[in-house]
Amino acid sequence: MSMSRVLPSSPSAPPIRVAIAEDSVLLREGLRRILTGAGLDVLAAYDNADDLLARCRAETPDLVLLDIRLPPTHTDEGMRAALQIRREYPTVAVLVLSQYVELGLALKLLSESAEGVGYLLKDRIGDVTEFLEAVRRVAAGGSAIDPQIVSTLLRRRRRDDPMQRLTPREREVLELMASGTSNAGIAGRLVITQRAVEKYVSSVFDKLGIPSTGTESRRVLAVLLYLRS
Amino acid sequence: MASHDQAPRSWMLWAIAVAGIGVLTGVLILSLASARLEPSVLRVFLIGWIVIPYVVGGLVAWWRRPASRLGPLMLLTGFSMVLVPLQWSSQPLLYSIGHLFDMVPAALFLHTFLAFPSGRLTGRWERVLVGSAYAITLGLHVVKVMLGANPNSVFSVLDNVTVGTVAEGVQLSLIAVCLLLGAARLYRRRSGLGRHRRPAALVVDAFGLALVMLALLYVSGIFAWPFIEIIRLITFAALGLAPIAFLFALLDLRLARGDAAGLLVELRADPTADLQAPLARALRDPSLRLSYWLPDFAGWVDQTGAPAPFPAPDEHRAVRLLDRDGEPMAALTFDRSLEDEHELLAAVLAAAAIALENGRLRAELRARLTELQSSRVRVVEAGRQERQRLERDLHDGAQVRLVALSMELGLMGEDPATDPDLKARLLNAKEEVWASLTELRDVAHGIYPAVLSGHGLEVALESLVARAAVPVMLSVDLDERPPEAVEVAAYYVVSEALANIGKHSMATSAQVGVRRHGPRLWVQVSDNGAGRAELRNGSGLRGLTDRVEALGGHLEVREVDGGGVCVQAELPCR
Repeated sequence: MSMSRVLPSSPSAPPIRVAIAEDSVLLREGLRRILTGAGLDVLAAYDNADDLLARCRAETPDLVLLDIRLPPTHTDEGMRAALQIRREYPTVAVLVLSQYVELGLALKLLSESAEGVGYLLKDRIGDVTEFLEAVRRVAAGGSAIDPQIVSTLLRRRRRDDPMQRLTPREREVLELMASGTSNAGIAGRLVITQRAVEKYVSSVFDKLGIPSTGTESRRVLAVLLYLRS
Repeated sequence: MASHDQAPRSWMLWAIAVAGIGVLTGVLILSLASARLEPSVLRVFLIGWIVIPYVVGGLVAWWRRPASRLGPLMLLTGFSMVLVPLQWSSQPLLYSIGHLFDMVPAALFLHTFLAFPSGRLTGRWERVLVGSAYAITLGLHVVKVMLGANPNSVFSVLDNVTVGTVAEGVQLSLIAVCLLLGAARLYRRRSGLGRHRRPAALVVDAFGLALVMLALLYVSGIFAWPFIEIIRLITFAALGLAPIAFLFALLDLRLARGDAAGLLVELRADPTADLQAPLARALRDPSLRLSYWLPDFAGWVDQTGAPAPFPAPDEHRAVRLLDRDGEPMAALTFDRSLEDEHELLAAVLAAAAIALENGRLRAELRARLTELQSSRVRVVEAGRQERQRLERDLHDGAQVRLVALSMELGLMGEDPATDPDLKARLLNAKEEVWASLTELRDVAHGIYPAVLSGHGLEVALESLVARAAVPVMLSVDLDERPPEAVEVAAYYVVSEALANIGKHSMATSAQVGVRRHGPRLWVQVSDNGAGRAELRNGSGLRGLTDRVEALGGHLEVREVDGGGVCVQAELPCR
């Protein structure tokens, strides 16, 4: 993969404006470098949630990128700020980063809507291309759920498991779908046509008995809830 | 009255009894020989009515309670009354002496009643009151007679009847006030007595009534009320009844000694029973408290082993220290009025002695159990905090550095200037870092479920259930978050139970339920597998039992009808 994919695809479009809250200097500055290098506009980078909220009040960014554990107690400050931003500034996309991914928190974040929400392991930052792709997808109103959540849910054994009726390709499509990848994204990843992706998606929904939900972001929650039960 | 503190010899008591009979006979002869005041049979009877109960009561009290001064005091009161009939004498000197001591019994009644039950006055106030009564009935009486209140007395000096009458009015008023103050004092003391001290309350009632009647008699004397004779009769009746009530109370205590025997039987029948309740029953004092001295703890505890400060005696409570070989062993705290009932106390304590050592051992055992329990709580809590700190250190330290490293490697790999061969090696390195991150994450998560602190049990269990080997139906019903130590214990119960299901059960589904019921949190994990309970009672569950019990909870693993195992924990949310 070349750096050209990392650069803004169309120089004429205004850059995505990002605000960051991450208490580790190493990661905060790293994120700033990655995002700036990819042509995104990093408005501000803070080490706490309160400053981020204040910033949102002054000027709403397109996307906030925040750590789930932030000072002072390092327990739920980041999560609370994320939920508050989603409630008060529906146009701001929220991407939460964490050392652990918890299904309970993902469901909480997605409970209102899966549009413009992301919840990723911090490890994903190291895969710069995929990370930037997720950032752009969330900023554009899509979603990004860490694949680890999906794969954990897929590992369990079930009685009369409908999952066993899926072909390997259908399973791959399901995993990508559950993590928020768009049809175009799935097509690119699996090197197939978008038309073929659409066929796989409806086949998966049929076999699992999930009612078709329409938009790409809404189906994330539907698939997660299906896998959980 | 020479020896209050040791038992009177029986010949002394007999001598006093004989003297009493002699004196009464003398009074009878005197009354028959007297022509002066025509003492009626009624008057003789009334003197006997007072003297006999006080002398008999005094003898019994002295005999049964040698340590109390009440016996001698009652005898003195009884005999003081025999001076009164001297006034019936036609011999002027005898008459005058009788008249001089006419009112002394009033002060003695007050003294005796206030000194009940120990025979000693308590407090300066009572001593001043009784002292005043003596001064009024004796000192002021002499002054009054000298002034001429009674022209028939040989001690009359001034012979001024008017002045004498005024002096008498003052004297009678003052003594009436003293008697009423004494009655008020008794009333206060009675309300201080517990309801369970009924015999003592009865005696105090009788004393109070007698004092009020006596005061009324003197007041009616000042104003020369017409019904003074009736009041005199009632007063004498009340004064005579007082020692009878006292004798009844003594008799009642003799009966109570049967309780001491009952206690002995009770303790023999069940030597492991706790002592406090039987002791309270035997001494008829529900407020009784037993505490033990534990040398190893260098402190006092109650019978449940809970630390109890050594109770200081006060106005209402008395403390009796029970020791063995000079070492303190136990202490009894009881109603102060019991202190007077030496015999009962001695009999009950003698009966209790056989069970005291056992009782102390039991209290010590309980104290040690409590200590053990609290040290277990401390150990578990310290462990929890240490784990929380470790997880935090990993999270903020090694994990962050590894993430930053993978990011750096990623950026280098994306750089177009990087040589393709190097890129491949960078990718390799990055994957190594990812593998380390995954391992570290599992370790850190195993050390402490950090999500609990921030987001509570429901969110934490959601992820736990998501990682389970079988589909799990999760239901959490909590209005508020339990303490974190309880949440952590509940989390580990579910975690361990789900891990066991994955390893041993062949189950295809499981259910996890968490709910709050009153002050307790209930956690239940059940499956549809086939394993026997003991097969799944692995070391992990044993560790859990420790954790749950340290919090005062209870863990149970049982087979469910129709197959499967249910792990159930009950945790108090304090």
